[in-house]
Amino acid sequence: MLNFIKAERNSSAEFDEVLAWIALILMVLGMVMVYSASIATAEASRFTGKQPTYFLVRQALFLATGLIAALMAFQVPMRTWQSLSPWLFGCGILALVLVLIPHVGREVNGARRWLSLGVANLQPSEFMKLAAVFYAADYTARKFALMHSFKKGLLPMLTVMLLVGWLLLREPDFGAFVVIASIAMAILFLGGMNGKWFAGLVALSLVGFLALILSSPYRMQRIFGFMDPWSDPYGRGYQLSHALIAFGRGEWLGVGLGASVEKLFYLPEAHTDFLLAVIAEELGLVGVVTVVALFAWLVLRAFAIGRQAAAAERYYAALVAQGIAVWLGVQTLINMGVNMGLLPTKGLTLPLMSFGGSGILANCVALAVLLRIDYENRALMRGQPA
Amino acid sequence: MNYAASPVLALRLPLWRSRLLLVLVAGGFLVLAGRAVYLQGLNNDFLQQKGESRYSRVLEISATRGKITDRHGEALAISTPVKSVWAIPEEVQFSGQQRAKLAALLEMPPREIDKRLNDATAFVYLKRQIAPEVAERVSALHIPGLFQNQEYRRYYPGGEVMAQMLGFTGADDIGQDGIELAFQSTLAGKSGSRRVIKDRMGHIVEDTESIREAQNGSNLTLALDAKLQNLAFSQLKLVVDSNKAKAGAVVVLDAKSGEVLALANLPSYNPNNRSRLSGAQLRNRVITDTFEPGSTLKPFTISVAIEEGKVRPDSMIATAGGTFSIGHATIHDAHRFGDMTVAQVIQRSSNVGAAKIALGLKPEDMWTMFDKVGFGTTPRLGFPGAASGRLRPYKSWRPIEQATMAYGHGISVSLLQLARAYTIFADDGELMPLSLLRVDAPLVGRQVISAATAHKMRDMLELAVQPGGTAPQARVVGYRVAGKTGTAHKEENGGYAKNKYVASFVGLAPASNPRLVIAVMIDEPSAGQYYGGTVAAPVFSAVMGGALRMLGVPPDAPLEPLELPPAGAQIKEGV
Repeated sequence: MLNFIKAERNSSAEFDEVLAWIALILMVLGMVMVYSASIATAEASRFTGKQPTYFLVRQALFLATGLIAALMAFQVPMRTWQSLSPWLFGCGILALVLVLIPHVGREVNGARRWLSLGVANLQPSEFMKLAAVFYAADYTARKFALMHSFKKGLLPMLTVMLLVGWLLLREPDFGAFVVIASIAMAILFLGGMNGKWFAGLVALSLVGFLALILSSPYRMQRIFGFMDPWSDPYGRGYQLSHALIAFGRGEWLGVGLGASVEKLFYLPEAHTDFLLAVIAEELGLVGVVTVVALFAWLVLRAFAIGRQAAAAERYYAALVAQGIAVWLGVQTLINMGVNMGLLPTKGLTLPLMSFGGSGILANCVALAVLLRIDYENRALMRGQPA
Repeated sequence: MNYAASPVLALRLPLWRSRLLLVLVAGGFLVLAGRAVYLQGLNNDFLQQKGESRYSRVLEISATRGKITDRHGEALAISTPVKSVWAIPEEVQFSGQQRAKLAALLEMPPREIDKRLNDATAFVYLKRQIAPEVAERVSALHIPGLFQNQEYRRYYPGGEVMAQMLGFTGADDIGQDGIELAFQSTLAGKSGSRRVIKDRMGHIVEDTESIREAQNGSNLTLALDAKLQNLAFSQLKLVVDSNKAKAGAVVVLDAKSGEVLALANLPSYNPNNRSRLSGAQLRNRVITDTFEPGSTLKPFTISVAIEEGKVRPDSMIATAGGTFSIGHATIHDAHRFGDMTVAQVIQRSSNVGAAKIALGLKPEDMWTMFDKVGFGTTPRLGFPGAASGRLRPYKSWRPIEQATMAYGHGISVSLLQLARAYTIFADDGELMPLSLLRVDAPLVGRQVISAATAHKMRDMLELAVQPGGTAPQARVVGYRVAGKTGTAHKEENGGYAKNKYVASFVGLAPASNPRLVIAVMIDEPSAGQYYGGTVAAPVFSAVMGGALRMLGVPPDAPLEPLELPPAGAQIKEGV
């Protein structure tokens, strides 16, 4: 039964230090790059009060808040998380509804994604990703026996997820919708959902995505911009063509930290969605491959922690860990794919690195939960009760 | 028992599904890494080229225009760096106090600043060509959205004194007139260029390469002597003003080298502020205008006669009666003296004498002399608009025309041509080439008359400025002066205007070894006096005297006061 448990870590360690370090390295590198990418735009903008450190200071505060939240989240046993799962998910849905209410939700650039909390703005869709992981894992763990039934196993989950998806598309936040749908589908898949139903669901989703894309000029526009950015480099292809130029300029070793030209008002969203392009220009292929490798390592570790938990028959924890792996993996893949012109522009940030308080906070808590699962796995292996 | 229905078996998570997901995600990361290698390592040339077309720009680096100096290196035209203040109106933010300070510095009403900022969104000049120190104080105001450009502005320290000589440049730094135009290719530099990277706001963020260095224009050293020029201009101005003349011109030549040491014109203008200019102010009369020289041409006629052996200075000419009729035309002298020697014809400027001597000459010989001294030919100066004057072919000359041409009518020359022609008397028969630039190697002239003839002419020309001559006012204390007056009716509507005259004087000094040739022309003196001897000669005297002393030329005459003949006893020339 325990034959596939691999004690990869020194069993004397209480938690996965390497994983923690990788996350920390990504966050600090992200902060440095956010500063580099935003320094020129922040200095020139009236909105930031012409302070070059405007985004740096905020990102540092977000990281500090995130680390404190992570320390607190790490103390919470998985049992508690599981019992809280439906409630967290409910709160998430409530927040997504609030966002859509005029005067409650804040609208920026035609999208209603934020709740104003006075000192900071909250982006519920970021927290919804974590809540979706918890809820889908709890649901699947609770209804293991019914997973092969469409009516009792799949339909309730599908209904809830369609509701969430509908709310997200009303904002609109297509990126978050794709990530949350991926999380839910992956957890159902891992939880042993009937293969035929699953294949049908995947096919249905693809058809649904296509319908969504073709039905909205806004999404159509984003799709076709990525196919050939050079056909309309000053219109639809503007952002992507500049991202690609940044990659090309970076070559093997980059133009040097701080020396990016693209960030000088050419590349929009350089400090958020297109942070990787600035990394590519300033730190070169070496920098890009390092970041890709760190994320790959992080995702692989999350899967491994999930499998360890599964081996220990901690199914909820196993699904949460792998759900987090899918979340971070899918979001990273999409963000990077968008930066490199492989995928249409989505409006997804690079986890742990891009500027954004809600995203950083949600990512920190997710990593803390991952470390908690690993911590409990280790405790179990040492014969201590979780 | 159905496998799927077994709760115990179903409670195991299918491990292969986890592995499948892991492989998919890992595969995705591998694709990303591969894509990065393609973009950054393999296809980067294409992308970099696309990038360059977005933000790489070739900048022009303006070359500084060469300086114009006088023969001693004193600056006559210099390019001074100035700044132009421009704004991106959208980005401009200033307090009321800053606005007031800016308005004061730019010497503009605050409302004008507001107007300019409101009329454009992306770019507007607030003020062009302001002094660098003012520009510095403007930038010290730290107004966002305000920028400055480096430009050059041509400045002429001499102002109106040598305006027509130097000319000026246009806004694009290209010579428009005078020396600035004549030597444009020398003075203008070759602008260079460099490649820079600009951010989207247009600020230069990186200098990538220098494509071509800017080559500054060469400096130009003129033959002009600034002190002498000032002297010539101020003396000319005195006389033009006191005689209420329409215009005036003076040119000073170095008799030994043909260099133009001074060249002044009136009316003039301030080249540093060229608003409301008239054509009269712009004209360089010395070089571009021609006039009928009148009696200043007599020495050339006499020279031909002496060279041809027709007369000697002491040959008697039948001038008694003071009139001479050829066909229906009659030539008059101003005074009746009885018969005169050839020398007296020059001294008293007798038209009748000159005409009679001329009629003893072949037209071809007279024409050859005029042609040899440069009349009717554009002087090789490269100066824009240099006039050639009019010298009709001798075959068409009628006797009356040959007679009047002997005393400078029916022929036109520029003052510069006239002054240069006199170098044959100053330089022992050699005609010197003209030069606007300083000449360092000695120049070789062209022999036109023999040295002996030249000496005889000089002796006769000395008589003309003595009491008993037409221009005792041309004398200079301490130096022997030789020269000739000219007074001519102005040509108007194909005939001669009755009361409009051009008074002139051409002379050289010191007569024993001439160093300078000076020619003066006063156009339409209208304060009563109009003879060359009374209007033009005083300018000559003042400039010649001052110039010789400036140049340190040793005196060749006793330093004693000169006496002028009593008023009314002045010998007038035939007009």
